[in-house]
Amino acid sequence: MTNSEAAKTQPIVRLEDIYKAFGVTEVLKGVSLSLMPQEVVVLVGPSGTGKSTLLRCVNLLSRPDKGRIWLEELEITAPGVNEDKVRQRVGMVFQEFNLFTHLTALENVMIGMTKVLKMDKRAAHAKALEELERVGLANRADHYPAQLSGGQKQRVAIARALGMDPHVMLFDEPTSALDPELTGEVLAVMQKLAFEGMTMMVVSHEMGFAREVADRVVFMEGGYIVEAGPPEQMFDHPQVDRTRVSQ
Amino acid sequence: MEFVQKFITTFQFIVEGLWVTIGVTVVALAVGFVLGILAGVARVYGNKFLAGIGTTYSVVVRAVPVIVIIFILFFVISSLVDLTAFWAGSLALGFASGAYQTEIFRGALRSVSGGQMTAASAIGMSRWQAIRHIILPQALRLALPAWGNEATLVLKDSTLVFAVGVPEVLRRAEYVKARTFDPFFAYSVALLLYLALTLVTTQVLRQAENRYRLRL
Repeated sequence: MTNSEAAKTQPIVRLEDIYKAFGVTEVLKGVSLSLMPQEVVVLVGPSGTGKSTLLRCVNLLSRPDKGRIWLEELEITAPGVNEDKVRQRVGMVFQEFNLFTHLTALENVMIGMTKVLKMDKRAAHAKALEELERVGLANRADHYPAQLSGGQKQRVAIARALGMDPHVMLFDEPTSALDPELTGEVLAVMQKLAFEGMTMMVVSHEMGFAREVADRVVFMEGGYIVEAGPPEQMFDHPQVDRTRVSQ
Repeated sequence: MEFVQKFITTFQFIVEGLWVTIGVTVVALAVGFVLGILAGVARVYGNKFLAGIGTTYSVVVRAVPVIVIIFILFFVISSLVDLTAFWAGSLALGFASGAYQTEIFRGALRSVSGGQMTAASAIGMSRWQAIRHIILPQALRLALPAWGNEATLVLKDSTLVFAVGVPEVLRRAEYVKARTFDPFFAYSVALLLYLALTLVTTQVLRQAENRYRLRL
């Protein structure tokens, strides 16, 4: 086995027996999940079942109460791990975009490169333009978030995350805040990313996207993973009744 | 004719105090700005200890008349450190304004949506980097209207330093009144100068507000 093959067999993300409660509400009750390199996993299931919380654990925006998480070879739940360094390797896209409102599209993509990665301005400028090109928005580089449509905002947010050269991308209901006619352009960008080999963990209610793009669909309910498998199996031959009903 | 002549002489004498008034105001606003940002950030993002300092400063100073602070600096502190009346007055005014600016910036910082901090963290920014590069630039823009109001208040409060003998507009108007026993010209000129200063200040700040408006 060559080195690159060995790397391929190591998960990018490994979650082991994750518990999380907010006050008395237990949101995650022992969830384990691994993501292999280039794998696209779509988390589905009813609202309030811990999908987003699980996603936020991967970049430590949410800290699990119990359980361990590895990002490649690093156990990020170990004491003394620098959260900021972890987050530089994990891209995240939010439901409500969260673009920096005082910065243009280009500056939104650049700021992480210049302030966090300490790239020089010219290199960052060039790379930021490339990332905007990648999401089809190079011509909107100088627009402020308020001058962009929802779909465009979300694509800029994706470019901003990509600018950090993440090892894995997390999408937290990326199209839920969009008008139906704008979801297509965002999903198309995500599909392209998946095709280019990006490792992705997606919380979404877009079953069409899950069926077409996911390598694995994970059905969550009540803080547990109820069923997981390739989309054909999940959608056409679900093993658990609840999965069937949800379609 | 005598009326015009009298007005002009009075004006020429008092207008020299304009630079002192502007000096006191600018120093006070600058000192207040630095204190206000520090205490505001401490209150919103600091730990318990820092937030406590910020809160105490803001609450105590706003409960004390500005003139008392000026007197403390001029009569008490300046006997320990070498302070001219100008600096004692300006710094006291700045110390007082800082407490009000703390409230302005605290409100502005809190009105920046929480998602901005989350997004900044998600690209690996430290808390401090996020405050400096993402939260503060937005908060400053949001604070501009209220800050502009504070600027005109400080401009008018700068008259208080006349009590410790700083030769600003009002002090010079007092000189004229004492010499001529004619308060009309002295105070009319002072009134017109403050009116003009305030109108110019408001205009400049309005321009700034439009230029830096945060479009959400």
